[in-house]
Amino acid sequence: MGAGVLSEEGQLRLKGASAFVSRTGGMGGPASLMLTMAGVGRVILAHGGDLISPDLNRQVLGSERGLETPRATQFADYLRSMNRFVTVEAIDHEPNDAEAMELAARSDIVLSCAPTFEERLRLNRVAAAARIPFIDAAQWGMMGTLMVLRAGSTACLQCVYPTQPPFEELFPVVGAISSAVGSLAALEAIKVLSGCGRVAWGQLLTLDGFQAQTAFVPLRRDPQCRCCSTMFNDVEFNDMEECV
Amino acid sequence: MKIRVSIMGRSYHMTDGLHEFIELDDPATLEEAVQRINQLMPEGQTLTGSCLVLLGGTHFGSLDNHDPISLSDGDELTLIAPVAGG
Ligand SMILES: [Zn+2]
Repeated sequence: MGAGVLSEEGQLRLKGASAFVSRTGGMGGPASLMLTMAGVGRVILAHGGDLISPDLNRQVLGSERGLETPRATQFADYLRSMNRFVTVEAIDHEPNDAEAMELAARSDIVLSCAPTFEERLRLNRVAAAARIPFIDAAQWGMMGTLMVLRAGSTACLQCVYPTQPPFEELFPVVGAISSAVGSLAALEAIKVLSGCGRVAWGQLLTLDGFQAQTAFVPLRRDPQCRCCSTMFNDVEFNDMEECV
Repeated sequence: MKIRVSIMGRSYHMTDGLHEFIELDDPATLEEAVQRINQLMPEGQTLTGSCLVLLGGTHFGSLDNHDPISLSDGDELTLIAPVAGG
């Protein structure tokens, strides 16, 4: 990666780390690519279904050649071709609660890039239960959001969305913004895993490409949160505030 | 009084034509501001309760889960509709 960016120790920490990325669409694709190219030791991808033509406007891991074939396995093959030192695991479906818990338990970070809030909140819960950081990357049209969270020391996703927002089956995607948000998610993960750089703990980054505006917003923890307030006691919150 | 309103996130295009400032009685609550914004939105569209609420860049929760918020002249209110596109 080059001297002055990551210390040798930091690069070794990356090599020894595992990242769980659920789904590999417009953001999970570029995020997993950047993690693989950075040398994160194990990258676990979860995505069900085949690659279809309308997805190609944001699929950096796919191409016309892979249409109508399972997405997770072909994307994993592509990632392996990009860095032979990285172990890539493909899960060819959306993990349920138990499976997501098992995957989080053997990962050092969760990257949430799912199309539904149901799955995002599930990933948040399992990351909180496994006491590992959680990065939420999302987009709509030309707008993207990124949250870098660690339940117990920052807000968790359930603090931010106490009520599950409505599902939207069809939404617009500009690949340039999903790819930017996915890459920034990988950047934050690289900082977390390597211990190098200042992590945007507890913050929401808004990337409003439509209005040409960006902002970092510290997120408020909900003391009544159904997820993190029942998992962590006040002593843990106080002890970990220095991370924020 | 006047407050500055910025709306982003899901379906941001629907609010693109709204004025940057809205007029409210002084004092006003967040709910009154949201009611005014909903009147200005295209017919049949309203802000969802899970919109994040920022006042002067500080996160106060969501529209359906926040402590009482009173607004003052010149306040900057940002509402972010939840985004989940994968
Ligand atoms: Zn929480």
